[in-house]
Amino acid sequence: MKLRSRQILFFLALIAPVGKLVLMPAQIVSVSKNDLLFPVLAQLLVQAALVFCVLLLARRERTLYSLIESAAGTVCARIVTVLFSAFLLFAAFLPVVEQKTLVRSIFYDTIPAYLVFTPFFLFSAYLCARPLSSLGRMWDILAPLSAVGLAGILLLSAGSADYGALSPAGAAGVQGFLGGTTSSCSWFFDSALLLVLIGRFPYTRGLAWKGTLCYLAGGGILLFLLATFYGVFAEIAVIQAHAFARMSGFFSGMTVLGRIDYLFIFAVAFVMTFYVILPMQGAVGTVTEAFGGKKALAPLLSAGVNLIMLILVYLFHFHTSQVIRAITGTLFWIFPVFSVLLPLLLLLIFGRRPHEKIS
Amino acid sequence: MEKKEISGNLTSDARTLKTLLPAQDILTFDFSDGKSRKYVCFFADALTDKDLLAEQALRPLGRYAGAPEAKTMATHVLSPEVRTGKDFQKLAEEVLAGNPVVLWEGADEGLIVGTKKITVRAVAEPPTDVAIKGPREGFIEDVKTNTSLVRRRLKTGELMIEMLTVGRRSATSVALCWLEGTCREDVVEEVRKKLSAIDIDAVPDSSYLTRFLTERPYSLVKQVGTTEKPDIFCAKLAEGRAGILVDGSPIALTVPYLLVEDFQSSEDYFVPAYRATFTRLLRLFALLVAIYLPAFYVAAQLFKLQLLPVKLLLTIAGSIRDIPLSPSLEMLLVLLVLEVLNEASIRMPKYVGMALSVVGALVLGETAVSAGFVSTPAIIIVAFSGIGLYAVPNLIEETSVLRLAMLLAAGSVGTYGIVLLTALTLVYLVSTENFGVPLGAPFAPFIRRDLRDTFVKYNLLSLKERPASLSSPNKRRQK
Repeated sequence: MKLRSRQILFFLALIAPVGKLVLMPAQIVSVSKNDLLFPVLAQLLVQAALVFCVLLLARRERTLYSLIESAAGTVCARIVTVLFSAFLLFAAFLPVVEQKTLVRSIFYDTIPAYLVFTPFFLFSAYLCARPLSSLGRMWDILAPLSAVGLAGILLLSAGSADYGALSPAGAAGVQGFLGGTTSSCSWFFDSALLLVLIGRFPYTRGLAWKGTLCYLAGGGILLFLLATFYGVFAEIAVIQAHAFARMSGFFSGMTVLGRIDYLFIFAVAFVMTFYVILPMQGAVGTVTEAFGGKKALAPLLSAGVNLIMLILVYLFHFHTSQVIRAITGTLFWIFPVFSVLLPLLLLLIFGRRPHEKIS
Repeated sequence: MEKKEISGNLTSDARTLKTLLPAQDILTFDFSDGKSRKYVCFFADALTDKDLLAEQALRPLGRYAGAPEAKTMATHVLSPEVRTGKDFQKLAEEVLAGNPVVLWEGADEGLIVGTKKITVRAVAEPPTDVAIKGPREGFIEDVKTNTSLVRRRLKTGELMIEMLTVGRRSATSVALCWLEGTCREDVVEEVRKKLSAIDIDAVPDSSYLTRFLTERPYSLVKQVGTTEKPDIFCAKLAEGRAGILVDGSPIALTVPYLLVEDFQSSEDYFVPAYRATFTRLLRLFALLVAIYLPAFYVAAQLFKLQLLPVKLLLTIAGSIRDIPLSPSLEMLLVLLVLEVLNEASIRMPKYVGMALSVVGALVLGETAVSAGFVSTPAIIIVAFSGIGLYAVPNLIEETSVLRLAMLLAAGSVGTYGIVLLTALTLVYLVSTENFGVPLGAPFAPFIRRDLRDTFVKYNLLSLKERPASLSSPNKRRQK
C-alpha cells in the first residue's frame, strides 16, 4: 500500500491548515495586534516554497533515510534520522497540548476529569504503529470532511464578522510582524512533515507545482478563517484560545436549532486528531525504517513514544501556558532548523533530476 | 489408507462396499439379467428416485445380455447421467450423495446412475430482501437449483461454474461461479485455493465459508458479500466478482466485497436514479442515526448539554428529572431490552409474536416510563435507533456492536470518546483489504469514477464501465 500523489495534495490543501486553528490565532494577535494576517502570510509563502523544494526531492522516490544513506552512509543516515525524529516529537508536543486544551474546552460543559484525554494516546499508539502509507486512505476521507467543516464554520461565522476591524493594515509595524512571524514558527513545519512522506508516494508529472498551489490554496482558506476570526472578536480575539470553535457561536439560528456549529467543529476536531498524530507517526516510521523495520519495532516505539508524550502532557498539565510560551518563544528557532534548513540542504545535495549522477 | 478397487467377484465387492456403507438407510437390491448374471444395486433410501432408477437403469440392465464391461453396459442405461468408477471409496461417496451404484459378477468397474431425488422447497421471495419492483425469486437450499437460476439469467458461455466439495464428513457441494474474462483470474484462483484448503468436518451453511475466505478471520467487519437473490448475484458477477453457492444454504457469497454494496438494493436499479439516490442517502442517514443517536444523547446529557436546542433540552430535563438511573445506564438498559425483544421475536413461533409485541410495547415501554424506570426520550431514541439499524439489514451484526461501543465511549469519555472511536473504526475499515480490493473503496481510496453507483446513483446510461475498484480485465459493460 503506497500513498498516492492525490492524497498528498489533499493533505496540503485541506488537512495542513486545520492544525493551525487552535491556539495560533490568539497567540499571533497577542504579538502582532490586528496585523495577524501578515506574519501568517509570510510563513505560508516560505512554507509553500519549501513544500516545492521537498516535492522536488520526492522525484527520486526515495525516503529521507535512504536518500541520506545513499550519500553519507548508514551511520550518518541513522544519526540524522534520530535527530529528525526527535524534532518531530518535539514539534508534536505543542499540537498535542493544543488538542488537550481544545478537547477539555469544547467537548465538555464543565471541567472534565483529569485523565479524560488519555484515550487520545491509545488511539495515537494504534495509529503510530501503522505504516505511514496507510494514512493516505484516511486523507481521502478527511479532506472532504475538513472542507465541509471549515466551510460550515466560515458560513456560520462570516455573518457576525466585521472585516473592517482588520484595518488599518500594518499598524503593528515591523516589530509586530517579526514577533508574529517568529512566534508562529511552531505551527509552520509542514515541509518537515512532507519530508517524512517522500519516497512513500509516486512522483507524478507537475506534482511539485500542484502541491505548492494546493498548499497556497489551503493557506488562503487559513487566512480567510483568521480574518473572520479577528472580524468576529476584534480586540478580544487575544483571549479566544480556541479560535475555530468559538467564532461560529453567534449564528442567529442557534436559538432554534441548538449549537449546530458543533457538527462542523467536531468534523474539524476529527481531522485535527490525525494531523496532531502525524509528527509522532512520522517519528516512529522513520526510526523503524532506519533500524531495520522489524515487525515488533513499530508497535514498541509507538507505545513508548505515546507513553512519554502522555507523561509529559500530564506533567505539564498545570503549566500549559508556560510550556506554550517556551516552545513558541525561547525554542522557536528549532523549527526553522528542521523545516527550512534541512529541506534546503537536502535539495542542494539531491536536487538534480534522478537520472543525473551525483558526484 | 489402502485404495480398494473392484475385483470382479460380486460377493466380495458387495461385501466391501457394504462395509463402507453400514447405515441402515443404505439399501441393496439384487437382480439378474438375461444371461443369469447377478447384479447388486446400492442406493440411499431417501435420496434416490426409485422409479427413475428402475425405469432408466435396472430394467435395461435386466434385459442386457452382452459383455460384462462397464463402458458397454453404460451405453444401455437410459439415464443421461451415468458414470463408471473403480474406487470403492468414491463409489461409497456417490451412494451417499444419492446416486445409486450397480455392481455385477465379472465387473471391471461399477456403474453410477444419476437418479438423485432431493426434496427441495419451492423458489420463493427471500424474506430478507423483499423488492416492491423487480424479480421476486430467491435462492433455495439446493445448489443445483441455484446454479440453474444463475444460468437462466446469464446465458453466456463465459459463465463458469466449477463444482468443489468442502467438508470432511458433510462433503458439501460448493459451486464457484464467475464470468470468464470479466472476473480477475487471480480472484478465482485465490477463492479456489482457499476453498480447497478448508479442512472442516461439516459445512451446514455458507456463512461457515466466509471466515475461510477473509484475510482477517477475526475481524469485526464482514468482508464477504451476501445475497439471497439470483438477480443481485448475477449483477455482481457481471461487475467482475466471483460468486459462491453452497449446497444447503440459500445465501450466496460474493467476493471481493465493498462496504458500499450493502447500501445498494436491487430495487435501486429498477427505479429512477433520483429515487435510488434518495433512498441510499436515507439508508446512510438511518444507519448513522442508529449508531450515533443513543451515544450523542448520553454524551449530551452527561457532558455537553449545549448540543441540544434549549426547548428540547427543557423537555428532556423535565422527563429525566425523576429517573433513578444514570443516562448511560438507562440507555444501555433500554438497548438491551430492545436486543432481547429482537432476538425473542425472531426465535419464537409466529402466533406468540403478537403477545410479544404487546408485552414489548405496552408492558416494557409504556409501563416502564410511567413507573419512572426509564424516560420517554430514551424509549424514543432507542426506537429510532432500532428502526434505523434495519435500513441496512446486511450490516446489522456490525452496526449493533458499534452502537453499543459508541454508547460505552459516550458514557465514559463523552463526545470526544465518540470522535476517537469513530476515528479508530474508520482507520480499521480503510486499511482492510480482501482479494486486493480495499473495503472502503471508492471513498478510501478515492476512485471518482466509481462514485456514480454509491450513495449518489447515476442513471443506468452513465454506468458504462464496471467498478474500477474491482480491476476487472473487461472494463466496459455497455457502449
